[in-house]
Amino acid sequence: MLWPGPGGADTPPVRSLYERSAETLDRARTGDAFGPTPGAEPEPEPTALAAIALDDDAARRWLTDAQRPDGSFGLTAGPVENDAPTGLAALALPPGDERERALDHLVATPARTLPPDPVVPHDPNVPGWGWALGTAGWVEPTSRALLAFRRLRPGATTQIDGAVGFLADRECVGGGWNFGNRSVYYVDLPPFGQTTAAGLIGLHALASGYGLVLGGVDALRRLWPVERGPLTLAMSLAAFRLLGLSDADEVETALERTLDGPAPDVIALAWIALASGPGLSELAVPP
Amino acid sequence: MTPMDRRTFLRRAGIVAAGSAAVGLGAGAAIPGLLRRLDRPWDDDAFPPPGRPKVLVARVASYDVDLETTVEEGLREVGASLAGRSVLLKPNFVEYDPETVINTDPRLVAATVLAVRRLGASSVLVAEGPGHRRDTPFVVSASGLGERLGEVGARFVDLNLAPVTRVPLHARFTELGELWLPAPVVDADVVISMPKMKTHHWAGATLSMKNCFGCVPGRIYGWPKNVLHWAGLQEAIVDVASAVRPELQIVDGIVGMEGNGPIDGTPVQAGVLVFGTDPVATDSTAAVVMGLDPAGIWHVSEAGRFLGQADPEQIVQVGEDPERSMTSFDVLPVFEDLKTGPDGGGDAGAHVGLGDANA
Repeated sequence: MLWPGPGGADTPPVRSLYERSAETLDRARTGDAFGPTPGAEPEPEPTALAAIALDDDAARRWLTDAQRPDGSFGLTAGPVENDAPTGLAALALPPGDERERALDHLVATPARTLPPDPVVPHDPNVPGWGWALGTAGWVEPTSRALLAFRRLRPGATTQIDGAVGFLADRECVGGGWNFGNRSVYYVDLPPFGQTTAAGLIGLHALASGYGLVLGGVDALRRLWPVERGPLTLAMSLAAFRLLGLSDADEVETALERTLDGPAPDVIALAWIALASGPGLSELAVPP
Repeated sequence: MTPMDRRTFLRRAGIVAAGSAAVGLGAGAAIPGLLRRLDRPWDDDAFPPPGRPKVLVARVASYDVDLETTVEEGLREVGASLAGRSVLLKPNFVEYDPETVINTDPRLVAATVLAVRRLGASSVLVAEGPGHRRDTPFVVSASGLGERLGEVGARFVDLNLAPVTRVPLHARFTELGELWLPAPVVDADVVISMPKMKTHHWAGATLSMKNCFGCVPGRIYGWPKNVLHWAGLQEAIVDVASAVRPELQIVDGIVGMEGNGPIDGTPVQAGVLVFGTDPVATDSTAAVVMGLDPAGIWHVSEAGRFLGQADPEQIVQVGEDPERSMTSFDVLPVFEDLKTGPDGGGDAGAHVGLGDANA
């Protein structure tokens, strides 16, 4: 009998989402570190996420070696310095000089701002953090910076307040976030699941962000059931677990089905392992 | 423009740096102000004279016709040469919204896969790097593209995550100097740009040149690809299109988007596909079909100085007369001066009243 059915003597044990995703993630590594797809050249973002998810010292060592002289982590493409993984890398590193230099970099490099513009309304007093140096602030890199400061340098109140102000400024009508434009040409833009989850991960358990969290949770409850991509589901699971909400159970079930299909990319896979496993405690901030 | 072996061109012109490489991790200067103002900001040697390219405007009433044959015939008519060559289709899936028509229709993409195979391509893959969404599998699945590609057995590549190759720029309207482009784009013999025919609230129109932004990987340039906006949007369109150099173009104007495009506009039944071998000629022609003056669209006009043919007298129309196929697309007030219709032009299509895209 090929398939004895549930309870049959030959039925393999049901493995947890964390075990399955961690095993697949571990197989995707390139040497000590991780690229964005299995076997690809290592890069800071997937390596930082995997280091946290797997509690992997080899990945942490690779990260340390990849730190730039200015303390940042990221990808360089000619004049373009993407430093968006810096917050994640800080969260992945152990206490020490490397971590502090990463945080110092974030303090020193808020995003550029533009003058007020009715066509793309935004508050130029809250720049947030960008994907690349010298460009505008966006939701996901700002949420990463916020979380890094809250966990690792809680005395950086100017930066923390600034990040919360940015997320308040970019909140979509009805709650939640897209990549970071709440309105363009007098049209309100809708929130997305993945970026709403990113905002909630940065804001969880923060008293000054309570109203934003309420709106974000409402939005995420609407969005994740229809935006069932692996990265959206994984970051939604992380957000719901960090917020202590039982929605996490349903998302976890959806992710189990996702893992039954083709393997997700390494960044999504690392988020699945991180969100479903013990590594999530490395992102948690006590109330 | 004479069809050429794209890989050979890139190598001959020294565009591809030695081998694929990881993106550098070293420190460098931040972006100071990536806008360059030169009289002729391109290398003449890298851009041969455009000649007299063929463009074909085909009337196509809906996505329910035999699109495979339509595309095959359209590509043949403009002189596409695909036998034995690897092909990458680059449709527009910048994000997905079920309420409107942001994307190249998946049925057209799937039909093009089949048509390209009929024309003898050695391989074909479909690739996109969504500019607004990181969760590409969601976009591919929700839009229906994944299902359609499954039906024709075509592979999809997420250009936001693919390995990258350094490509020095031979057009320097920005000060980027180089782009790090996905290896599948650089390695393909032929890139076919398959934009949706849309107005664009910053650029006037988004067609085969602007569609090349989806080749720029988000994990370096961000979501949205804000680096390109800081570099100067219209200038970046020219530089990126000059680097990607799509050898063929198929513009999906069966249903396009007017008004506040490229995301929040209104569907408009223009009822055309536009085929070409020169992105400037194709976009110029598509603009005419939209009731817009191509000479007023900055990136089309500037690219017409070196990248392709913008002179309507030199573009050989082998299909319908573009002006007779015109559907006057509504534009935002800031682009009102681009309009050649409805007062002066025809209006062959029908505006689809599907309501506010964000309702």
